[in-house]
Amino acid sequence: MVGPIYIIAIALGLAFAMGLFGKALKGITGALLMLGLAAMTFISGQWLWAFLTDSVTTTQIFTAGFKPPYSINLQMGMEEAILTFIINVAGLLGATYMYQTFSKKGEQLKMIFLVFIMSMNVTVMTRDMFNLFVFLEIESIALAGLVLMSNTGKAFQAGMKYLIATGIISGLLLLGIIFAYSFTGTLNIDDMIGAHLGTIKASSVAVFLILVAFILELKPFPANGWGLDVYTAAHPGIGALVSATVASAGVYVLYKVMPIAGQEWYYYVSLIGALTFVGSNLMGTRQNTPNRLLGYSSIGQVGLLMIILGLQDYLGDKTAFIAFGILISHYAAKAGLFWISGILKANDIKDWAALRKNPFLLFLFGTFLFALIGFPPFPSFFAKWELIMTLSTQGQLVWIAVILVGSFIEGIYLFRWLGYALKLDHSELPSLNITWNKMIPIWVMGMSLYVLGVYVTPMVEFGRYINYIPLLFILVMFALDFLPVYIKNTLSIGGVVWYMIDLWPRIEDDLMRQIFAVIFLGGAVITLAAGYSKKGTRKGFYPMALLMFAGLVGIIEASSMIDFFFSWELMTAGSYFLIIRGKRSMPHAYSYILFSIAGAYAILMGFGLAYGSNLDAGLTALGNISFLPTLAYSLLAVGFMTKTASLGLHIWLPGAHGEAESDVSPMVSAILLKAGVFGLMLLFLFIGTDNPNATKLLYVLGWVGALTTLVGNMSAAFQEDAKRLLAYSSIAQLGYVLFGLAIMTHMGWMASFTYTINHFMFKSILFLVIGGIVVKLGTHNMFEMGGMIKKMPFSFIAVLISIIVIGGIPPLSGFAGKWLFYNAIIEKGWYFQGAIIFFAGIIAFLYLYKLIHSVFLGQLKDNHRNMTEISWWILGPVYVLIIGIMIFSAFPQYVLQPIGEMLNPYFNTEIVSWEGTKAFTKLGYWDGTTIMIVVGTAFVLLLGWLISLSRKAQKVKQFNIVYAAERPFRPETTHVSYNIYAGYKKALGFLVAPGITNFWNTVSDMVLDIAGWLRRIYSGSIQNYTLHVIVFIVVFYLITIGGL
Amino acid sequence: MVKKFLILLLVAGMGLIIFDLYQAYDSKENLSTLGEYYAQNGAEEVGAANLVTAVVVTYRGLDTLGEVSILFLTAAILSFALSFRKEDEIEEKELRPTSEILSIASQVLTPIIMLVGIYIFINGHLTPGGGFQGGAVIASAILLMLMAKPKLEISHKIIGFVESISGLSFIIIGALGIVLAGGFLDNRIMSLGTFGTLLSAGAIPLIYIFVGLKVGAELSNIVGSMSHNQNEK
Amino acid sequence: MEYIIISIGFALVLLGLYGIMYMRNLMRIIIAFTLFNTGINIVMVSIGYIRNASAPILDAIPAAGTTPNIVDPVPQALVLTAIVIGLGVTALMLTYVVKLHQDKKSLDINNFKDLKW
Repeated sequence: MVGPIYIIAIALGLAFAMGLFGKALKGITGALLMLGLAAMTFISGQWLWAFLTDSVTTTQIFTAGFKPPYSINLQMGMEEAILTFIINVAGLLGATYMYQTFSKKGEQLKMIFLVFIMSMNVTVMTRDMFNLFVFLEIESIALAGLVLMSNTGKAFQAGMKYLIATGIISGLLLLGIIFAYSFTGTLNIDDMIGAHLGTIKASSVAVFLILVAFILELKPFPANGWGLDVYTAAHPGIGALVSATVASAGVYVLYKVMPIAGQEWYYYVSLIGALTFVGSNLMGTRQNTPNRLLGYSSIGQVGLLMIILGLQDYLGDKTAFIAFGILISHYAAKAGLFWISGILKANDIKDWAALRKNPFLLFLFGTFLFALIGFPPFPSFFAKWELIMTLSTQGQLVWIAVILVGSFIEGIYLFRWLGYALKLDHSELPSLNITWNKMIPIWVMGMSLYVLGVYVTPMVEFGRYINYIPLLFILVMFALDFLPVYIKNTLSIGGVVWYMIDLWPRIEDDLMRQIFAVIFLGGAVITLAAGYSKKGTRKGFYPMALLMFAGLVGIIEASSMIDFFFSWELMTAGSYFLIIRGKRSMPHAYSYILFSIAGAYAILMGFGLAYGSNLDAGLTALGNISFLPTLAYSLLAVGFMTKTASLGLHIWLPGAHGEAESDVSPMVSAILLKAGVFGLMLLFLFIGTDNPNATKLLYVLGWVGALTTLVGNMSAAFQEDAKRLLAYSSIAQLGYVLFGLAIMTHMGWMASFTYTINHFMFKSILFLVIGGIVVKLGTHNMFEMGGMIKKMPFSFIAVLISIIVIGGIPPLSGFAGKWLFYNAIIEKGWYFQGAIIFFAGIIAFLYLYKLIHSVFLGQLKDNHRNMTEISWWILGPVYVLIIGIMIFSAFPQYVLQPIGEMLNPYFNTEIVSWEGTKAFTKLGYWDGTTIMIVVGTAFVLLLGWLISLSRKAQKVKQFNIVYAAERPFRPETTHVSYNIYAGYKKALGFLVAPGITNFWNTVSDMVLDIAGWLRRIYSGSIQNYTLHVIVFIVVFYLITIGGL
Repeated sequence: MVKKFLILLLVAGMGLIIFDLYQAYDSKENLSTLGEYYAQNGAEEVGAANLVTAVVVTYRGLDTLGEVSILFLTAAILSFALSFRKEDEIEEKELRPTSEILSIASQVLTPIIMLVGIYIFINGHLTPGGGFQGGAVIASAILLMLMAKPKLEISHKIIGFVESISGLSFIIIGALGIVLAGGFLDNRIMSLGTFGTLLSAGAIPLIYIFVGLKVGAELSNIVGSMSHNQNEK
Repeated sequence: MEYIIISIGFALVLLGLYGIMYMRNLMRIIIAFTLFNTGINIVMVSIGYIRNASAPILDAIPAAGTTPNIVDPVPQALVLTAIVIGLGVTALMLTYVVKLHQDKKSLDINNFKDLKW
């Protein structure tokens, strides 16, 4: 094997040799540069390979033929191999990316670049303190030289700030090193570690100087203005390397020297890391310049790594996995993002909408952002998972909270950015001119994130059970994205059906999972089938829809918490992309994803507590939480409730569902929301009845459910937008489900199951039909519709049947739900909440009436005279569902009886007993089949009578009326059902005042205000930045040694 | 005003840290373990009378390679950064003629200074001095020349050639250490010779010659770039 | 004696820091920097000083087991490196000053606030 020392020899040799070739032989220097970087990559790569295959152990390389501490030694171990490899790869790719720039600007730049990459290799490998200092200096001088490449005033200023700051830092480092030498008589890092300098009072100041210098090199908040400026002003190709390699090497160097200080100091490293992670991300929320934003994010990520390094005593042998997981994701994502930024050359993140002109770049951009946040299947996901789980076993809840809050704040700006790129207008933006040498490095980074993610999966407990086959299928669908809709649709439905067949045997004796499998996958088939009505290619739709369904099915299949969370995040990502497809969906998808991330983090922390209690990552761990159980249950419930959109967490839903595409609305409403229901059911079953730690929680959740129902229904009644009306209706329906579950009795759960199944069916129908009508009529506003009954009779019947179900009117299955519900309420004795629910039920009639009346009844609008029925591709699936409703209504026992039997072991409360078609409770009985027959007969008779009567009726043409010399100037004023409930609104409107929306708006404004105020410290003045550095040092000193 | 006060406060704070360092300092009677090892074995192992040279070139040879790289980097950055102005922006400044004393003295002194520089780096293993010091002296001769004749264009080709060849030789000697002796930059690839004579200490004199040439070339390069830049408006 | 020298070194370090923080002219900041670096170098050399010992240049190979009465050669070697690094950094700073001056025709640091927030 080639020794690592040759990395230095090759790099320096080539750099020196380049001077031999004049300008005439420019091509040769370029080739030499690439060759050199490739050779360096090869050397570290073969060491890495050897370590991965266990064919070599950590090796010391002695220089000058003497043993340390008498001479300088380098170390090549697993960690060094990984780091030098990623540094050299980034160097190679970075040089590829900047190839034209390099050949334009002369061979000196190539020399500087080679030495720059080499110096980072040495800082990683060296075990000698002073040698470390020398090569750090080389690194910063080379970097200062590379910053000059931009040749702009801003770059000069940034470089100057950088030089002054690093100058002070390295001066103090030198003082620390020489005093450490004076105390220990050695410069070897390992010998210094053995000397325990940090614990001796006299030598602790030397330790302090060394430590603070290496921390400052990582640009801790707030002494990092100089670093931010470099990110902003440097050529993006250089920014990529600063973020990817300098930061990685710097973190590793800190990791290497921390033991010199000793464990007493680790806590402070974490503290500074936390301050940096949260502070830097917070200020990023106000940033719109891409490179500077990336700078904030880079510094934030390094802060997270500092937290991890400081907590290594808690993390134990998992430290390396966690740190590398975060580091590698950050490395690849940041390098990629900076390189994309270099292609776009935009000064505002809003101009990144230009990415849509190149779908590959857009795909990579999304990949990088999701990797930064820590979504599956990227390494950061697994690292974060292990981090939270391990911290929880150590009881470090505050650290978990800090990490999650910081990550969430990072999500705030990253998803705003993604939204801009996906939705903002890009017609004015210049088209992209991308050369292959700029594209390849970005591709390599993007693909390696996926490969590494899959590679590290089995390293996590239960990770090997994670099923990557659906993701593989999605990848294939990505590749086939150019095909027309009907082919992709067929393929997708085929995939779903195949998976259903594959899945069924695995959940054969688990009825609950079967029900949800039918809802998720059956729903997938039905809603996808409606997609045949679309034309063109629908770019990006199918992979994302399948991603959501894969996540959903993963949730029900999961046997471990990590599998569950993995799928949960996939589902979130997929549904985000589906929701944002709507024309005006950008802000709604944004609030959806923020609520989802927050919810996911609540779930993560809840899982952490479960893991901490049991040291077991199986899903059953949820059943036995001994460590802060109430907190764990509450976190999990809140997490799941972000998906069920319960009161307080619901504000994302109306916009997200209302503005979504016509077949996406049913996907995200009828199907996606059930993921939250499934989560809640799972949680409550694990909590069990009479759990003293959850009594209060369940009581509160009952109230939340009842109020959600009320507010949801009232808001729906006041809507003029048909799809938003349906969206609010979903909120209310899920409120019923939550309420029923919170009752925690057999009856309540039966009711919830009935509601869940019903909601799946009727909301699919309604969103499909209304969505189809909205597309056809070109408006969401109900006051612009009317009289559609004659144009769209089949749609009318479908909506009518759904409405009967929602209203809980016999004979359809909605009545079954209501009947069970009132039984449950009476049995439980929650009369006050029951009254609210009852009241809400009445309000439901208001909006249902409004919906069907405004759309189908009343006068036909003039411009809708030539309307025809909506597509049969939509009506087909709708009628399949109607058949489903009819069967469920007529023969509920086939579904409800098994559910009852399944629930029996969990609840010792009164049960529903069945005798044939009759369901008995203490309060009475109900017979779905008989009711169906009776009401059906009555209906047919009445209809026949009406039809026979109507033959005598006189038909009146629409405009056979007289306007009283008045001409309406706004369409809504003539529509009978416009603002139809103005009176109620006046009386009860305060209940639906946007108080909750205002609350969240205030919160977000406050965050942004704090960020805006904080970032004023970055005044741009060199003097101030110098002062920040010194203040940081003095304050850190006063706190640590000064004992402040 | 607030800022001035803050600065004074910060200096006081740094003073506190420095005071701690001062308190931790004790005048020493004995060598540190590392120093003692070098004092006892350095002469025998490396063969250099000047122990500082032994440490710089051999024991801590990698640092020295780093130092050379730093100068190399600085020279490269300077010539890169100070050269990339657009050609049409450059206007030559009118310069005052140099005084006669300076121009004549430079003609006399330049060769002598160069010789002194060479002497210093060749004897680096025996007497105080070495490659860096010698190189700096050589560059000072170049500086003197530039002061005497500001319009003098130093041939970048020759300097670049010297710099590259000496740098490469340094690396090659270092790499030979791995093949022929104990490790990278081991000076024992050549015989250690008789202690205290010019041809002793293995490869150290050779390394120092290359370091001296390289440093001289690099510093001259730096001086040249700066002077060239100064001549422009 | 060595206490006086190390004190001078420390004083220079503080003076340099004060100058870096206080000065507004870039050239003066750089001068303050060199003071700072010089101070550190002096401190480094005096760390290696040993009372009544001579320079670390030997006349003959010491006999086995005996230690020649010399000062510590290590800090001296380190100082040599540190000086060269200081030189490199200073040269680079000066380059930057040249570029900044070409850009804005000013050396006052208050004129270089284009990057903020």
